[in-house]
Amino acid sequence: MAGAIIENMSTKKLVIVGVILLLFQVFSFLVGGLIAPSPTTAVHYLATKCVDVRKHHQKSKWFMPWGPNQCEKIRDFDEATVKMIEANDIVFAVHIPLPNKEMSPWFQFMLVILQFDIAFKLVNQIEEGAVATIDVGLAYRDNTVSDWIEMAHSIEQRKLSCNFTTIKSPENEGRYYECDLLPFMEVGSVAHKYYLLNIRLPVNERKRVNVGIGEIKDIRLVGIHQNGGFTKVWFAMKTFLTPSILIIMVWYWRRITLMTRPPVLLEKVIFALGISMTFINIPVEWFSVGFNWTWMLLFGDIRQGIFYAMLLSFWIIFCGEHLMDQTERNRFAVYWKQVGPIVFGSFCLFIFDMCERGVQLKNPFYSIWASDVGTELAMAFIIVAGICACLYFLFLCFMVFQVFRNISGKRTSLPAMSKARRLHYEGLIFRFKFLMLVTLACAAMTVIFFIISQVNEGHWHWGDYTVQVNSAFFTGIYGMWNLYVFAIMFLYAPSHKRYGDEQSNGDLGVNSGEDIQLTTTITHVDGPTEIYKMTGKEAQE
Amino acid sequence: MTSEYLLRTLLMLILALFSANASNWLYLAKLSSVGSISEEETCEKLKGLIQRQVQICKRNVEVMDAVRRGAQLAIDECQFQFRNRRWNCSTLETLPVFGKVVTQGTREAAFVYAISSASVAFAVTRACSSGELEKCGCDRNVHGVSPEGFQWSGCSDNIAYGVAFSQSFVDVRERSKGLSSSRALMNLHNNEAGRKAILNNMRVECKCHGVSGSCEVKTCWKAMPPFRKVGNVIKEKFDGATEVEQRRIGTTKVLVPKNSQFKPHTDEDLVYLDPSPDFCDHDPKNGVLGTAGRHCNKTSKAIDGCELMCCGRGFHTEEVEVVDRCSCKFHWCCYVKCKQCRKMVEMHTCR
Repeated sequence: MAGAIIENMSTKKLVIVGVILLLFQVFSFLVGGLIAPSPTTAVHYLATKCVDVRKHHQKSKWFMPWGPNQCEKIRDFDEATVKMIEANDIVFAVHIPLPNKEMSPWFQFMLVILQFDIAFKLVNQIEEGAVATIDVGLAYRDNTVSDWIEMAHSIEQRKLSCNFTTIKSPENEGRYYECDLLPFMEVGSVAHKYYLLNIRLPVNERKRVNVGIGEIKDIRLVGIHQNGGFTKVWFAMKTFLTPSILIIMVWYWRRITLMTRPPVLLEKVIFALGISMTFINIPVEWFSVGFNWTWMLLFGDIRQGIFYAMLLSFWIIFCGEHLMDQTERNRFAVYWKQVGPIVFGSFCLFIFDMCERGVQLKNPFYSIWASDVGTELAMAFIIVAGICACLYFLFLCFMVFQVFRNISGKRTSLPAMSKARRLHYEGLIFRFKFLMLVTLACAAMTVIFFIISQVNEGHWHWGDYTVQVNSAFFTGIYGMWNLYVFAIMFLYAPSHKRYGDEQSNGDLGVNSGEDIQLTTTITHVDGPTEIYKMTGKEAQE
Repeated sequence: MTSEYLLRTLLMLILALFSANASNWLYLAKLSSVGSISEEETCEKLKGLIQRQVQICKRNVEVMDAVRRGAQLAIDECQFQFRNRRWNCSTLETLPVFGKVVTQGTREAAFVYAISSASVAFAVTRACSSGELEKCGCDRNVHGVSPEGFQWSGCSDNIAYGVAFSQSFVDVRERSKGLSSSRALMNLHNNEAGRKAILNNMRVECKCHGVSGSCEVKTCWKAMPPFRKVGNVIKEKFDGATEVEQRRIGTTKVLVPKNSQFKPHTDEDLVYLDPSPDFCDHDPKNGVLGTAGRHCNKTSKAIDGCELMCCGRGFHTEEVEVVDRCSCKFHWCCYVKCKQCRKMVEMHTCR
């Protein structure tokens, strides 16, 4: 990369740019903290116990827990025992959302967690490795009177991992087991107003289905969806950010094409970073409000994955191109060792995501964690991805270390160098240190805010204002990485002071000095000859 | 017209002043004959409610079924927690439900008030989650609701509604009396302690759902503890309850521990004013059933042991044949197939 804007900018201008970016940064935090509500809402549902009174359970009968046409209900299972109702006749019905409310496409996604309330009975305990077999149907409708339309139906298995924390004695009968949350359902778009879940737990003693799962008292569900307000703020932010990154990208690429030499690797990588950022930014989610695109969740994951992979590759290549060890790089192939783990790791996560969210497009009740093989497979993917990440960071740290070693090496020899060489190296060192500092600051901010949002309860009260910390985290960090990419494209674009210099023969010492900075580490492009040419000129002067 | 109205108001006032005690609404649990409380007229017929409660009932008819379930839950839990004690929370078919014990400022009364206010909050919250009630978390009367509504930012937790309803329904009697008497202060404190037993034992549960299910995005919520847990907490508070007396500090009256050596009680602790009777002897006037005829444990040295339970009157021992269920086969619901096992057991009953 030839002499970048950042080297030629006066400190004053740099400070001004920094302050403007900082203002935008603060603004993006405030948007999330003050305007947006918390990112997601969890709604509790308690399944209503309906009785299927029909003799043979024909298809296409939906049980409503409340409202008109509600099912025949029982309060608890003691009542069922008295009435001689069998387990197979019981349907757990849950209507999403609660009465007088409507779901909306602004909710973006909906995931449901399942919890069993299982009472401890000395004679009827949960067996080791018990598995619940759940026959579940999901239906939707868009007004309160029409028929329910089936959306999905499946028979799922979920492992019950429950433990009883007190001693198993007769006095403690009736206490509940403490069971892990079970992933139940995930829908990638909320296109309909009303949803209905009908859950059965069929018993088949011969096939050992739903035997030894203890005495179930209740089924509780927790529905999680994104808040409409947060979605709107998020979309607004994306819509605002897309053109800003797009404009700077076009500007950046124009500058590169204006040069006589072909673009070098680092310039291409920065451009690719811009493209991947724009890819995330483009607010295609607007369509999810009008269309029932269930793949949006998966698509969002892929977009984020591409950006992360691009960002990590950029760091490696940036370090590599600033090594200053006289080796020729400038080719992507040189970095296969470092970029390899990133690509492989992201690929693993992609496969994992396809196995989970990809299959959920077909069957919203699918969970890779439900089966033993699936769990092992998922763990394998995640562990491999983790190893790749560790490998990558080792490489990166080693490279940064190398750069610093070379810098200190160069430092000692700087005074002895000719002016042109000195300026060239000083420019390199400054460019590297600046990016290093900014990157570290951004990474630290991300980590700090992540920890705060994990530890915190979600909102702070600040006088009359409620600050939504989680929303501020999302918008702030998202804004920050956008500004990061923006700043890199702006500051690391080739300096325009280069143009015209080619004809003017460098009539001023300063100018020729600048010119030499523009020649890069990438000596093969135009480096050595130019340096010699320039130094020759300087000598003449 | 006006005279009739005046008369009614006067009558109401008299009723409010002299009706026996504030936990009378627990009598709802006994009213299985009423069926479902779905019309405003039913409210007037409900025995045990004071006038203000009838008004709340009329305004919130849909909640009353949950309140009744709460009352039943309170009685069941009380009887479970006290099954081994001399006072075993036995109910009478008349008013007051627990006999006179609860009308005095005893420890037992403290427990009953706490468990009943907790049970109403619990039952109403559950009813909310199952969609039986229409207002719940998005009700504007409940503090903490978002002004922008469900679509913008969701609704507040149902527990907020449950607790708020419990506060308005259960506390109304003490509030209408004004905060002058020490009994009112004690009852209000214990009611609040009962609700705190739920609020302070909420379980926080979280789910990660970021990219590939990572914790980049995490949603947490508070889940209500099982009611048995609430009962255990309040029972512990019962065992460590503080005896208090009323004192005037400035212009307000507050309850302070009788024994100044003791640590002042917190919001979660139960307080009582009067020592309890020993519950040994049958005393129909005060609604104490006595321990005669109660089963006891011969080997135990605790309160369920025959020595203490029978108040030193001694006990009968007889050998009875018990038909027990054994080697049972269960389904998760409603189906049990057992063999019958007979065994001889020694039964001890107090004289």
